[in-house]
Amino acid sequence: MKISLRDITIDYDNLRAIDDLSLEFHEGEIHALVGENGAGKSSLMSVLYGLNLNYSGKILFNDKEIFWSSPKDAIQHGIGMVHQHFMLIDELSVLENIILGYELDDALGFINFAKIQTEIKALLKLYDINMNLSELVTNLSVAQKQMVEIIKLLYRNAKVLILDEPTAVLTPNETEIFFKTLRNFRLEKKIIILITHKIDEVMSISDHVSILRNGKLINSSKLKQTTKKKIEEQIVGKKLPKLNVRRVIIEEQKILEVNSLRLSTRFSHSQPIDLFIKQGEILGIAGVSGNGQNELIESILGVRKVLSGSIEYLQEDITHKSTRYRRIKGISFIPQDRRKDGLAIKSKVWENVITINLSDQKFSIGPFVKKKSIKNYANQLINEYSIKVDNLNSSVLTMSGGNMQKLVVARELSNNFPLIIIENPTWGIDVGSIAFIHQKILDIKAKGAAILLVSNELDEIEVLADSAVVMYEGNISKRITKDIKFRENIASKMLSGVHFTENING
Amino acid sequence: MTEIFDPEFFSSIARLTTPILLAALGGSICHRAGIFNIGLEGFILLGAFMAVLGSFFANSAFVGALTAVFGGLFLSIIFAEFHLRRKGDPIVISIAINILALGLSTYLLRSIFKVSGVFSHPEIEKIPHIQLPIIENVKILDLLINDQSILFYLSIVIVFILHYFLKYHKFGLWIRVVGENPEVLKSSGINPVRIKFLVLLLCGLLCGLAGAQLSISNVGLFVENMSAGRGWIAVVAVLLCGGRPIPLFLLIILFGLVDSLSLRIQGLGLPQQITELLPYIVCLAVLIIVSYKKLRTFSRIIY
Repeated sequence: MKISLRDITIDYDNLRAIDDLSLEFHEGEIHALVGENGAGKSSLMSVLYGLNLNYSGKILFNDKEIFWSSPKDAIQHGIGMVHQHFMLIDELSVLENIILGYELDDALGFINFAKIQTEIKALLKLYDINMNLSELVTNLSVAQKQMVEIIKLLYRNAKVLILDEPTAVLTPNETEIFFKTLRNFRLEKKIIILITHKIDEVMSISDHVSILRNGKLINSSKLKQTTKKKIEEQIVGKKLPKLNVRRVIIEEQKILEVNSLRLSTRFSHSQPIDLFIKQGEILGIAGVSGNGQNELIESILGVRKVLSGSIEYLQEDITHKSTRYRRIKGISFIPQDRRKDGLAIKSKVWENVITINLSDQKFSIGPFVKKKSIKNYANQLINEYSIKVDNLNSSVLTMSGGNMQKLVVARELSNNFPLIIIENPTWGIDVGSIAFIHQKILDIKAKGAAILLVSNELDEIEVLADSAVVMYEGNISKRITKDIKFRENIASKMLSGVHFTENING
Repeated sequence: MTEIFDPEFFSSIARLTTPILLAALGGSICHRAGIFNIGLEGFILLGAFMAVLGSFFANSAFVGALTAVFGGLFLSIIFAEFHLRRKGDPIVISIAINILALGLSTYLLRSIFKVSGVFSHPEIEKIPHIQLPIIENVKILDLLINDQSILFYLSIVIVFILHYFLKYHKFGLWIRVVGENPEVLKSSGINPVRIKFLVLLLCGLLCGLAGAQLSISNVGLFVENMSAGRGWIAVVAVLLCGGRPIPLFLLIILFGLVDSLSLRIQGLGLPQQITELLPYIVCLAVLIIVSYKKLRTFSRIIY
């Protein structure tokens, strides 16, 4: 089987999202689709998947032109898509989620659950997948949820699998398992289209790679005929700047000190947490998300009450202080979820550039806001961080993910606070923005900030952190210092989660 | 005590409960489909008026019920037009519907029947009541559920049908999905707007029947603003039960019990204003219990 997209052009209001683009996908191939945010990958796939019908150009199946009026048509042609944000309903069971829209029913429309269950169980057996069909989706791990999405496609007999950033939320171990499944699909002559930001994954799993930039196809070739460096340059459109890692002397002063902290009853069996960060140091916290990183951050910020233990910031006990107090005292925070926690997303860009420093005389007189000086400040940040934005008065919603994240980073780093808490700062953004944000984080460290960096990306911790700990079920490992085997040491600690308590004791 | 718990007390529970139950069932499918419909009061009121209108002119209770359903569907279509097509805020639309129903029924009452306040006429045919001989020997059941209007029995059947429908029927599954995340339904190739439209029609139908039960089941008359807060009680019940039919049924029985009790103790000389408060006090009490339980589960996650 072969699918061709011919001369596809998509126009949104006054923006050309896809510009006269032609591509071919072959069976038994993993085809990686890479490009910056807003390069047009998702727009292109929404055409193939039947979500977007306002395009010009042709879709060909084995050189025969086809049309569809809804995703259902596309699904019937064997095209399935796993969206970046899972299309699952938490409150329903795995089974109900899988069959949604493809229910086997009797004459009255009642669903024949027994028959469906046997069918799906056969599928699971065939592909050697473990899944409890009657479990509620809300109780599943992220990797399991993703598997539900895949089973959904298999149940619908999909021959083409479009996967939008499938590994963004997976741990290295889960990614490996996931790739194994992908390779099985390849053996069965399925077409796999992999949208991703991670060039390493492209290099390790794909057969063919296509690079999009500004709605145009920059290059499409067999993986063997290109290199990692070439791909990266084609994505960004210029040579990527090398990270400028200055040697910073870590001062002896401890900015943050956490002593025998108990986070939550959820981790009642884990050891209390001790950690510290010195001035000019980046401490990385690695680990699969959901192992207490969130609780730790919330405790330091004062959003969550701790069970016991103390938190000291600049030699002051802040365990029972309010979040506002801590922020005013100089704790910056870059949250993982920029849309939910980082920005007031429907508000204007300039309204989003200040937080705790609003009461500065620079930005307000009494209860009144100095709009002009805030706007000036916003312009300053936008220039310094090269944030792409139409207009200071347009809502944050109009910005791309990478630019939103830059805005959050700009706001939080420009306070020049002594302590910065950062949570997955480059989640789901493009290589260009990632490099930029990494550089900014290193720069602020060089100015003497202490940084707590929680990241699911081993790469990120390897590049940025001076030392790292791994979190597992509320436990924290011994400090791993940066040396030649930094990455391997972290990874092995992450994998040996089961024996974790022994590691701590021993 | 016997003054309160006389036979009339028991038989009035079902009578008082049925209109609220029917409307709440309509409200619950809206709730499950993610439509915040707090216009049930208006739906019931227009249904009640239309029932009297149909029953009076056609001399048939069946036609009365049918016109009541049309009244409900009419409001459903207005709701759908403004909410689904013009993307209006459901709260604003609900309030508009409540006001519209009150004004429209009062206006039509005056212009068609040339009366204000109350319209009652012997030619208004009432919905027939049913005697079930099987339970005549069981005293309590006989008192509670015998000799009730057809709509009472229908509403009980609907409770269970709806329960199974939501759980095991594909349309029921779609309703639950559209309420949680319409995008998911869309990506499965089903049009969420169509589902919501059908849900609204179903709600209008049930609320129309609720109105018919109110005006032509026992009394055979229409009073201005006859729904008198029943729609709001239904809304509260829907929200407290998360739109699940069986808990909803039980809660509304409780309300009916209290309502009936309040009618009874008026006879004991308590001021009417106080006894009429009783159902609402129970509402608040249930609300407090439910929210306390929610708070406790919530506090375990976040302070």
